[in-house]
Amino acid sequence: MPAQPPLPPLLAPYVSALPQSSLTLLSSVLGATGNWLILRYLYSALGAPVGDAAFGLHGSEGGRKRKVVLVSFLRGWEFWRSEAKRLGLDLARLTDKRQFAFVDGLSELFYTPTPSSQTTTTTSTSGPAPSRTVLPVRSQPGPLPARGVPQPAPARPTPTNPHQQVQQQSRGPGPVKRLHLSGTGVQALDALENDISSVIKQLKTPVTPGEEEPEILLIVDQPDLLLAATGPAKGIGATEMGEWIMGLQQNVHATVLALSADSPLIHNAAESAHQPSTPLEMESAAFAIGSAHRAQMVLQLRNLETGAARDVSGVLRVSKGGAWGQVDAGAEDKWEEREVLYFVQRDGGVCVFGRGE
Amino acid sequence: MSFRKRNIGLSAGADRAPAPNAATAQPEQASTTPESNPGIRPSPDDGRPTTSTGSLSLDNLLAGHGGLPIGKMLLIEENGTTDFAGALLRYYAAEGVVQDQKIHVIGMPEQWGRSLPGLLGPADAGDDKKSDRRKGDRMKIAWRYERLGEFGAGVAGSRGWSSPMKRNAHVRGTQTLTRVAPAATSGDQTMTDGVQPAFCHSFDLTKRLTHPSIANINYIPLVPSNEPLFASIHKKLQQAISQSPPNIAHRVIIPSLLNPTLYPPETSQPDILLPFLHSLKALLSAPTTRITAMVTIPLSLFSRSSGLVRWMEIISDGVIELCPFPHSADALGASGAATSHEEPPQGMLKTHRLPVLHERGGGSDQNIGQDWAFTLSRRKFEIKPFSLPPAEGDKEAQDGAASGGMPKKADLEF
Amino acid sequence: MAPTSLSHRQTHNLLLISKLLGHRDTASPLTLLIDSLEQPATPLIKEYIRRAKISKVHVTLIAFETLKPLDGVDSFIYARRKNPSEIAKEVATAQQKTPTRRLILIDSINPLLRAQRANAHFHLPTFLSSFLIPSSPSAPKSDTSLVVNFHNDVPNPPAQSPYQPSPLSTLSFLATTVITLHSFSHILAQKAARDRSLAAPVFGLAEEQDGVLLGRLDKPIGNESTQGIVLEMEHRRRSGRGVLEWYILPPASSYPPNQLKEIVTLLDDHPLYRPPVDSGAQEGEEEPQSTFELGLTDRQRKDREGVVLPYFDAQQGDGPGEGGRILYDMGEEDDFDEEEDEI
Repeated sequence: MPAQPPLPPLLAPYVSALPQSSLTLLSSVLGATGNWLILRYLYSALGAPVGDAAFGLHGSEGGRKRKVVLVSFLRGWEFWRSEAKRLGLDLARLTDKRQFAFVDGLSELFYTPTPSSQTTTTTSTSGPAPSRTVLPVRSQPGPLPARGVPQPAPARPTPTNPHQQVQQQSRGPGPVKRLHLSGTGVQALDALENDISSVIKQLKTPVTPGEEEPEILLIVDQPDLLLAATGPAKGIGATEMGEWIMGLQQNVHATVLALSADSPLIHNAAESAHQPSTPLEMESAAFAIGSAHRAQMVLQLRNLETGAARDVSGVLRVSKGGAWGQVDAGAEDKWEEREVLYFVQRDGGVCVFGRGE
Repeated sequence: MSFRKRNIGLSAGADRAPAPNAATAQPEQASTTPESNPGIRPSPDDGRPTTSTGSLSLDNLLAGHGGLPIGKMLLIEENGTTDFAGALLRYYAAEGVVQDQKIHVIGMPEQWGRSLPGLLGPADAGDDKKSDRRKGDRMKIAWRYERLGEFGAGVAGSRGWSSPMKRNAHVRGTQTLTRVAPAATSGDQTMTDGVQPAFCHSFDLTKRLTHPSIANINYIPLVPSNEPLFASIHKKLQQAISQSPPNIAHRVIIPSLLNPTLYPPETSQPDILLPFLHSLKALLSAPTTRITAMVTIPLSLFSRSSGLVRWMEIISDGVIELCPFPHSADALGASGAATSHEEPPQGMLKTHRLPVLHERGGGSDQNIGQDWAFTLSRRKFEIKPFSLPPAEGDKEAQDGAASGGMPKKADLEF
Repeated sequence: MAPTSLSHRQTHNLLLISKLLGHRDTASPLTLLIDSLEQPATPLIKEYIRRAKISKVHVTLIAFETLKPLDGVDSFIYARRKNPSEIAKEVATAQQKTPTRRLILIDSINPLLRAQRANAHFHLPTFLSSFLIPSSPSAPKSDTSLVVNFHNDVPNPPAQSPYQPSPLSTLSFLATTVITLHSFSHILAQKAARDRSLAAPVFGLAEEQDGVLLGRLDKPIGNESTQGIVLEMEHRRRSGRGVLEWYILPPASSYPPNQLKEIVTLLDDHPLYRPPVDSGAQEGEEEPQSTFELGLTDRQRKDREGVVLPYFDAQQGDGPGEGGRILYDMGEEDDFDEEEDEI
């Protein structure tokens, strides 16, 4: 198959030009994950070199500067960095340039590392370095391998190896924050919200005085994990999660929310279900469906109904969410609902095509 | 004559792995250990480090990486009350022991470690010698290759792993694992002897593994303490990992998670279980460590259609479901076995999610959606495409066709 | 239906929906909108606001879901993380110096029903009536209508007590008007299936397909006519009589925002739902030429429909028709020939 542009033209209307204070819901299932689509959002906001400005995505000409905050609850920095690299996005460099910030909701969300891990990280400075020449520890041994290692929040007394610290100093306060959930209920969520908002604010403050305030795109990857792993027993339900997202939305230009919409998480709670549903299923369904009601655009990923195929990864259906048409805006009405097939190639490129094409 | 020889050729390599070979494999192993990467090789797919699951055909199933990528967690779900998943775990543990990796077993007593299957030798090297000695066999292999055409390079064999292993892969029916360019040429093959340590070994379930590093297995018992159960497990695991030398690879094994005979009832609460799995995932994906994990769960207690199991699957990197056939040997005789020479499959295997591949968006792997059947024999856990045989009445016709083909093959070979 | 009763129904029910949407005469103090992802209430809420603006009604939006105030909303109460009592207080202060005619919209009641914070003391009827009943008896009597939106597809929270009615039942019981929203294209698809005696198709969440939240897809561009919302209205008059009617609200783009004339029509009047019978064209020319009269007169058709077929009786298992015997009462038209015919 021929090389694909990082952003397939069919997809462009849906990932670029998100309207002001809009919510975009991206739902995925076990066998059809949405990470590739999140990367397309990243690319649309951050990438698109000047030559590619045909889609009118690039912020430098015309509209305001775009910046992205990515909050990920299920994937670490390494994953996003190496996958973005396949699209030609250097997230580490963009972090340096303060166009991008990663908020790590994986590493320390529930349990914090014990202090004894100090030994590992310090010794590892000399450890993996020689072995990299033989076998890379990670798939992307860049010229500065340790650069992409998530920087602990400056305030947190997390061990860092000296090499990283040098780098961190050289690039200033890198806005990579690790979230940690403590306590229960709304207070716990508030703490997380504050952490994320502070990253957003940091990114918003102009580097040079007089600069226009940038448009921030917030991408929250699978916050439903937070709901599933706490639940009503911990005082967190679908309403609280929805309000948490709303709180985050207030600070940013547009929000992309990635959730799981697997059948057990959505349909078990329906009244037609044959067995009583568990609180986990109820809250997941309420959160996902409630979010779809609040979203302008809902992108749904699912498996091919006819079973897996070699050249199709899944089906993408773009629909208008419950909040579509709430605000009269010219630009946002330009897209239409449609259903396409997509295929994620081995090199990370994506083909998007209609059925039968 | 040819009939007999063919039979030998077809049977698993492990069958003929002589004891001396196993012995020689061991020193090789030992000599390469200081190179800091025992049992880790780059994936032919994208170069990320992978390690073997101890079962060749499971390795081949994992989305073209030829093994379980470092930092990934495999969830094996099993229906019914059989313990095929347990056998896979034992292979996985035994492979780790042989490769001098650090094994962490959660919730099992030390007896578990004593019952690891005995080493037969590298899954490929033993065959290599054998086939070198037998030119006839080799030619037959070549012939089979021609027939298989574009299936020329199995993933497992593509990086300096010997062709007999490829042959095994094909005979075992994993011929769809083919997306790698045919890199495995004779040039690579020369590396097999001595230079490259074995990546995957074969084991015998009826024997007991004896290996010096078997004593190093770290058992994390489920003992009640004043801390929450999973929090204390996680802490112990983290300590053990951080205290070991940085270069060592780890394997975390969680047999029969949530099994009520092992775990207290409250552990099946999502707000207790999911944070643990999430933190385990965090531990695995930390960039400074090299950990893989394999978790099994009884599906007859926790259905796949429940939200809790679905979340466990979403957190895991790979999800494999085993559906054993009802235990009735007679009924099985006819189902699924391509020829009477092969053992009938013991169950179906479904891949719901594969490491790395699905994280990226999924789809491009040819193994997805395929129906797989598995057969557990003494020496291996074999996964092959599942196909229903011709209807019962056609059995004779099928046999006739098979025997008709036989002389033809013999003509070609000799 | 006789043409007179149809036209009567048209005028009568159209007047009613005008009154309801335009909040005239306090036709309905509490209106419940039941929407779903397949047909969200957003266009209807905008229509409420549009009409309120025309008739100078003060609009308050209590936003549980909405982030930005909609156009035309006079006071926007952001209800995130607020207790029911706090919300009621804010609404009261926002309306202190307003004209007597007020419209209070709640964009979605579901988050409140599910909220963990509200569970203990929350009482839905009290909360809703706090908006309608003036806080102090001295306050001037105001003309307030409350429109509450309920997402029917969001799972209901577990009941506090198994003996309590579900929130939706409570809301429907309290409401004077219940409007259920449907997508016009779905109604058409379901009608088409019904006309062929097929099972009605389901859409979106009801499909129960893995990964599908929304089934709605735009019809091909240019086919404007299938746009629009079907409103299934159930209104309880003060007299106690209930009215049930189906309406269609055309998309907002099809009329100017200051249109005064009623735009809602009866669903039965929509050409796509009930295509006009081209009776003249069908009869006359297309009939096969024959010396026999193949058609039926109205009376004959009515008689034919009235015939009870034997198996209907047979199923009842008692009475004279048991066993499926054919019982035939001869009419005067019957030409019974003693010699030829037997009974």
